[in-house]
Order: sequence, then structure tokens, then C-alpha cells
Amino acid sequence: MSDPGLALAGVSAAYRGATVLHEVDLTVARGELLVVLGPSGAGKSTVLRVVAGLEPVTAGRVRIAGRDVTAERPGRRNVSMVFQSYALFPHLSVAENIAFGLEVRDTPRAAARERARAAAETVGCAGLLDRRPAQLSGGERQRVALARALVREPDVFLLDEPLSNLDQALRVQMRAELRALHDRLGATMVHVTHDQTEALVLADRIAVLRDGRIEQVGTPDEIWRTPATTFVARFVGSPAMNLLPADGPLRPDGAVVPGANQDGTQIGFRPEAVALDAAEGAAATVERVEVVGEDAYAYLALDGGHRIVARVPAARRPGRGAAVRVGVRWADAHVFHAGSGRRYVP
Amino acid sequence: MTGTDRRSRRQLALMLTPYLVGLVGLVLLPAAVTLVLAFTEYDLLRPPRWVGLGNFAALLDDPVFRVSLTNSLVFALVAVPLRMLFALGLALLLHRRAVGVGSARTAAVLPTAVPEIAYGLLWLWLLNPLYGPVNQLLRTGGENGLTALGRTPPQWLTDPTDARAAIIMMSLFTIGETFVVLLAARRALPRDVYEMAAIEDATGWDVFRRVTLPLMAPALGLLAVRDAIQSLHFSFVPAFVVTDGGPPPYATTYLSLFVYRTGFEYLRYGYAAAATLVMILLTVAAVLVQWRLIRRYRAFYRL
Repeated sequence: MSDPGLALAGVSAAYRGATVLHEVDLTVARGELLVVLGPSGAGKSTVLRVVAGLEPVTAGRVRIAGRDVTAERPGRRNVSMVFQSYALFPHLSVAENIAFGLEVRDTPRAAARERARAAAETVGCAGLLDRRPAQLSGGERQRVALARALVREPDVFLLDEPLSNLDQALRVQMRAELRALHDRLGATMVHVTHDQTEALVLADRIAVLRDGRIEQVGTPDEIWRTPATTFVARFVGSPAMNLLPADGPLRPDGAVVPGANQDGTQIGFRPEAVALDAAEGAAATVERVEVVGEDAYAYLALDGGHRIVARVPAARRPGRGAAVRVGVRWADAHVFHAGSGRRYVP
Repeated sequence: MTGTDRRSRRQLALMLTPYLVGLVGLVLLPAAVTLVLAFTEYDLLRPPRWVGLGNFAALLDDPVFRVSLTNSLVFALVAVPLRMLFALGLALLLHRRAVGVGSARTAAVLPTAVPEIAYGLLWLWLLNPLYGPVNQLLRTGGENGLTALGRTPPQWLTDPTDARAAIIMMSLFTIGETFVVLLAARRALPRDVYEMAAIEDATGWDVFRRVTLPLMAPALGLLAVRDAIQSLHFSFVPAFVVTDGGPPPYATTYLSLFVYRTGFEYLRYGYAAAATLVMILLTVAAVLVQWRLIRRYRAFYRL
């Protein structure tokens, strides 16, 4: 058990001459569910494709279950992949779709069918085995794609935004089922998404990717509470974390927030940490208010043109144009170097 | 009815008129006339004489008609699958982007763009037994005008079997339209399915058999129907220009040529009309059979 389920060491990859992954180091423990999170074009899918062997690396090594597979073709890596589009065959029944990989590998038909049925039961689509993909709903297709991925008992599961084609309610449900499935199978999984909620809910650990580089790898808690860079800080959380220069209109006490009163730093705080009724806070004007159920987000303009967002109870939201006094709960603030964007560590 | 309505209707009628006149005058009327003529005896000189089903009875007993029918069926059964195979092979070969692929695609379509008569004349030269490039190629390495294996090269224009093969060979290069449609169909197939197949370690023949062929089957089916219908037509010019329906007596006399000869050379219009009707009925039957097959298969493809 000493070998990790998956390890990328200094992996770079290029697409049409442009480098899309820059020396990525990433280790996924056996039985871990790692979520690769990032905006469009960050190279998330490329990470999966490099692991699967669909994209060649220009540098670095890929190891799966302790075996160097960098030069192996996709079929020899013992991975399976769930595609965003599910990639089901329209002319095959659900059972045949699930058994596809087994039959290509010359598993006897009866055995293949039996394992397909077992896999279908695992993901809860055993009642659909004789249907065609055209007769299935989006969620059902999703289940079939999952069943096909796990029928072969691969070393690593790769999931490429598998929930993005589902509607909101179904996505939440499938998210929970995916997590339960992972816990039941104890499988090594790499799940790619641009949805931060999905990442926070699903992951054992999250790798935040930006422009082909890893910004931070950590548990959802670490990503949320100690973002390593301003990018991570602002990408995870909605609305995004407020960022102000250290010499801006809101200045914390250096004793409360270490490093906050140094030059060249930025202070970050989430909308939750902002109060609008501080007795001696900075003056601000409410520019816009968004109400989301019980919460309201007030977009504020501070002196000097700085803008921040505050989360307030919807019942006590200010009106547009109202003058407020802004206070920040500094204990929850983060400090970053202004130039590099890295977290300030005193 | 408002004035605008009336005016737009009049415009519609006006714009449709040329097409309708053409359709009625050049297609529907002649078709109706053919239908009637099929039951008469008519030679352009004397007025048509009603003979009932006499023409059809005569067709049944006509050895030339039966030879033509057999020729056409054999041609369709051999040429259509070969043409489909050829076009599919080219489409799969040329669907990727690579150096020279553009020119290769153009080359694949070009023979289809050449006027049929010119194409026929070109093959008349290609197949010439003495100086034709085809047999010169076959004779390389051989002696005394024999092939390298010591065989007599094919007598494309004088041996019945060789001549039929020649007509089929000619038809294999005029696959431009089928090729273009298959090329588009292949390029429209989703990439993920192929990547999934790669991850499941399907390679070469497995990918073709389990992925490409079934996914392209709807397009292939439709094109095969179309080609089967067309085969009655595109066998005409080669047989007319290159082999003249021969070698004697009727080795490459296909239904279309039989109809042409009967009508325009022997002036038996009623008889030719009856043969045309048989030809059309055959086409309809072939289409129905294939259509049923495709419909059964296609139900799975709606996604």
C-alpha cells in the first residue's frame, strides 16, 4: 500500500504548440477522491487525458498504482473514464454498453453480461439493462456511464465533469450518490469540475488548477480556510472573497491580523465577515443588493473607489444608495503578498 | 382575404409556375403517357393500338429482356457493395487532417465531376487491348503480350465476363457523392466515443467493427438505397459508349440500354414503355426492402 493510486511528477503537456500543463506534481492516495477544480481552460480535462493516455506528455512521468505508464497506450493503463457526454453507443443496449470494455478484452459473453448486471446494480440501473440509450433520461445515462466505468474494476476512475449535463436537483442527488459510491468501492477517483460547491462537497482533497499550474492542493477545509493564493481565495466562494490593499480604506490592527499593516500586502475577507452597522466603521454606499432567499448580498462602494460585498440577512438588508458603516470581523481575514498573490505566512 | 394576402399568393403562384410547368410537362405527363403506352403497340407512324398486357407477356418471353434484367441485377449486386466499400474506405482514409489529404479528397471526387460521355471515352482508351494503359500495366514483367503470370491479359471489350467487369470497374471511380457524404458522416462522429474505445483497449479492426461501422450504418444504408436506384442509370453511358451493349450478343445490355434500343432504335415505344414500367417497379421493390431494413435499424439511433 506504499504506492499511491496515482502520481504525476513534473508533467507538462502541450496542445497545438501551446503548453497547457506546466510541470504538474500531483499525488492521489489509494481510495482517495481528488477533485480537480478550476475555471474553463485551466487544463483540468488535460490532467485527466494525460492520465488516461489520450494526450501525450511533453515532460514528466505518470504512475498508476506504482506502475510507470507514461509510455503505455490508453488501453493498457487500467483506468476508466466517464465522459461529460457519457459517450454511450446508441446502437447497443444498456447491458451491451456496460459490457463493451469486457467484450473488447475477450471476456466470455456470459461472464461479461453477469458482471455488467452486477455493475448496473451497484449504481442502481439494473432495471434498464435492455433499454437503449435513446430511451433513457440524463440521470439514467449518467448511471449507465458510471456502471461501464466500474465494471472493469480499474485502478483509477477518471470523471470528466460528469454532472455538468444534469439539471440542478439531479446534480445534487447524483453528487451524493457519487460520493456514496466512492465510499462503498474505496476506489481511487479523479473528478474534474468547475463547480466549487461540487468540489467542496465531494472531495477528500481538492487540487485547484489555474493556467495549467496547480495553485493549491488541500482538503476542502484547507482550501476554504487557508487559501494559498488570491486566485484560490477568490475562485472558491460565492460571491468571491473581498480583496483590499493593506493601505486601503479598511485597516485591521497588525496585532489581530499578522502582516496586515505591512507594505505590499492585500487583505482578504469573505462577505460573511462584513457587518454594515459598525459604530466606527468606514463609510460606504450601497450600490446594489441581491437577495437569495434568506441572504442578501450588498455590493458596497468604499472611499477611494474600492468595492466589497457583504452578506447580510435578507430581512435586514439596506436599500440601494443607503449610507452604511462597514466593520470587518478581522479574525477571519487572510493576508496575501500583493505581487505574487501568495498567502502571507508570518 | 386581405390585399396583401392575395398579392403574396399571386407572387407564390407566379414563382412556382416555371417549376410546375416543367414538372408537369417534362415529368408527370410523359410518365402518364408511358404508363398508357405500356399497354399499347406504338411505332410513331401508326396510332397506338391497345394490346392490354400483351407487352408484358412478350417481355416475359423475350430472351434479350431477360438477359438485360439479369445483367442489371448482377451489376447492382456486385457494383453497389463494391462502390460503397470503396467510398467508405476512402472516407475513412481521408477524414483526418494531414498533408495531401485535401488533394486526395479532390482526386476522389474528380471522376464524378467529369461529363459521363468524356469519362466513357477515356475508359475506351484505358481499356484498349493493345495500347491501353490498363493492359500495358498488366503486361509488365510478362513476355509475348502475356502477364507476368503467363496469362492472357483481360479482353475488356471483347470477352463477355471481362466486359462486365470493365463496366463495374468504371463505376467504382464515380463515387464522389457517396464519398463526400460518408466523409461528412465520419467527421460528425463524436470524438469521445473513440477515446472511450481507446481506454477500453479497442484497436484497429475492433474499433471499425464495434464503433465506426455501427455508428455510420444509418448513412451507409441510405446511400446504399440511393446507389441501388442509381445503378440502373449509371450503367447506361458506359454500356452505350464503351461496350455498345456487347460483346455480342448482349453481355453488357442493361435494362436502361434495352429500353433505349427498343424505343429509339427499333421504334417499339409501347414495348419500351412496358420495360420501363418493369424497371420502375423493380426499383420500388428494392427501395421498399432496403427501407424496411433501415427503419428497423434506425429506431436505435435517435438520441
